[in-house]
Amino acid sequence: MNIVLKSFYIFLLISCLFIYTGCTVTTRSVSPDEELHYDEVYDFSDKQIIVKKLIDSLVTKQPLAGGNDRPVVIVYGVANRTSEHISTSGITDDIRQGLLESGKARLLNETQRENIAKETEHQFSGNVLAKTRIARGHQVGAKYMLTGTLRSIEKREPRQFRFKKKSLQYYSLNLELTDIESGLIEWSDKVEVIREASKPFIGW
Amino acid sequence: MKQNDYGKAGLCCRLLNGRLSAALLIGILLIPTGCASPLQNARNEFYSGSPDKAAEILDPNRKIAKRDRLVFLMERGLILHHQGLYKESTSTLLKASRLIERQKIINATRQVGSLVTSELLTEYKGEYSERLWVHTYLMINFLLMRNYEDALVEAKQALQVFERYPEALSDDFFTRGLIALCFETLGLNNDAFIEYKKLAELMLDPTPVARKLYQFGTELGFQEEADLYKKYMPAEEIGRVNKTPYAELVLFISQGKSPEKIPGNIVLPPSIRFSFPQYEDSESSFFNREIIDLSGEYFGDSISTDIGKVVRASFKKRVAGIIAKETARVAAKEVIAQKVGDESHLAVEIILRAFFFILEEPDTRSWQTLPARLTMIRLPLEQADQNMTISIGGEKRIISLSDEEIRSSRRIYRSIRVYN
Repeated sequence: MNIVLKSFYIFLLISCLFIYTGCTVTTRSVSPDEELHYDEVYDFSDKQIIVKKLIDSLVTKQPLAGGNDRPVVIVYGVANRTSEHISTSGITDDIRQGLLESGKARLLNETQRENIAKETEHQFSGNVLAKTRIARGHQVGAKYMLTGTLRSIEKREPRQFRFKKKSLQYYSLNLELTDIESGLIEWSDKVEVIREASKPFIGW
Repeated sequence: MKQNDYGKAGLCCRLLNGRLSAALLIGILLIPTGCASPLQNARNEFYSGSPDKAAEILDPNRKIAKRDRLVFLMERGLILHHQGLYKESTSTLLKASRLIERQKIINATRQVGSLVTSELLTEYKGEYSERLWVHTYLMINFLLMRNYEDALVEAKQALQVFERYPEALSDDFFTRGLIALCFETLGLNNDAFIEYKKLAELMLDPTPVARKLYQFGTELGFQEEADLYKKYMPAEEIGRVNKTPYAELVLFISQGKSPEKIPGNIVLPPSIRFSFPQYEDSESSFFNREIIDLSGEYFGDSISTDIGKVVRASFKKRVAGIIAKETARVAAKEVIAQKVGDESHLAVEIILRAFFFILEEPDTRSWQTLPARLTMIRLPLEQADQNMTISIGGEKRIISLSDEEIRSSRRIYRSIRVYN
């Protein structure tokens, strides 16, 4: 077999191997704690990091740290001021969960107020046994309000001759605990995440 | 075998090789001539006043060539918007937006292939203006659905497109006004002021934004700047500017049909054809410039974009690149034709040149369901205003507003399309 033919067969074999390995589907389970980023934009790993740091700060500092009472907090949500469609309700849910698990505060369910009102109206509509009805006017008032803002700044490399384009993405989540009666901010903290990604200009 | 037999065998091989090469090339050339007829049928139905049929034709499960996916998504998104299916329209246009992001990576294989075939082989990436208007319609959809935060996200993405192509898009006043409105809706008056100011600097006559500039300038303490725009306002308006109306109606009005791309050709004998896309003359896009009349009285602010003007400006920015690529394509085809001619019979070369000539088609793909003009009108409402009649280009439309709607949201949005 001459050299040209041999080389051709080796090339064919290597190409088949590449095609086989490139085209097979593989899956693996990923731990929720594993930090995994495919690009520079906000992902679930960022959410975990941000929420964990903020909950740790909230429950270890005044006014929630130290005291024996568990003040009532209402979480009013995180405003999205980034340039991406990020569902901040996921952040809010995790914050609520974290606060509840810490045992340092009691939480009001703001998102279910309409449903609670609907259910209460039904219970007093005349269709429900009186002894099984809830008592009206017993809802608890919140002492503190938790609100936040998610912001981002994006920076891309200017136009120049290169084969890859870099971009820098900065995220920050500011959270505030406000005393509803006095209007004072009793606690505030911020977490920042900065990531750089490099994308090629040319693909196949 | 004798020498003559070898000679004949050699001639046969050369002829066969030449024919095979020509056949292979012709086969490759035929690939990009896939017909875009579902898109064209949908457009025809849309302009005949049957958006439902148009949406049916552009069913999301329909198989569309990857290279036409963006134009499919844009057309479908806009048709769904005008059917009032804002959620579905948003979902489709978000797919278009994500596709535009992915297309930033140049596909080397297709680019090389298009050098010997046609630009139609490459994925359609949209004109700069079309990429902006994906965000424009997303902003409108989100405002109509009262998702103000998502509208703001699209406003910021639209700003990024403006920053990337400032000159090409400088005449798109509607989108800038919409961006300012998105900031204003969330109480970000400082950002809204900045956008209104940019708009005032770009417009020849800043009267449509003078009231907002005066209002926000005064509120934010920029009195000097606010006073600059005071002179554009009627005297009776100055006293009213800080008075909050009972409610506000924001109308997004689409009129007419935007210009289409048509092929242009330059032929150099005997067989070189240099073809390029260009936008048709604006007079043929049947846009009636009749002033919008609102029951004889009109106190609103109106900001408009002439879509034809912006698409042409946006396209002009790409012309140098198009000409360079077309020149390279013509040169590459000429080299191939000459090579085939050297290797095989003259007849094969002639057939190949004829095919190159016929298949040298420019890329005339574009977003054709866009209107000729986009206008935003903001009308203060009094308590009693519940039914309003407006006349746009001779077409009368009645807008009904419910009490509940006005009470729950002091700013109400409506989108209207007229075809003349």
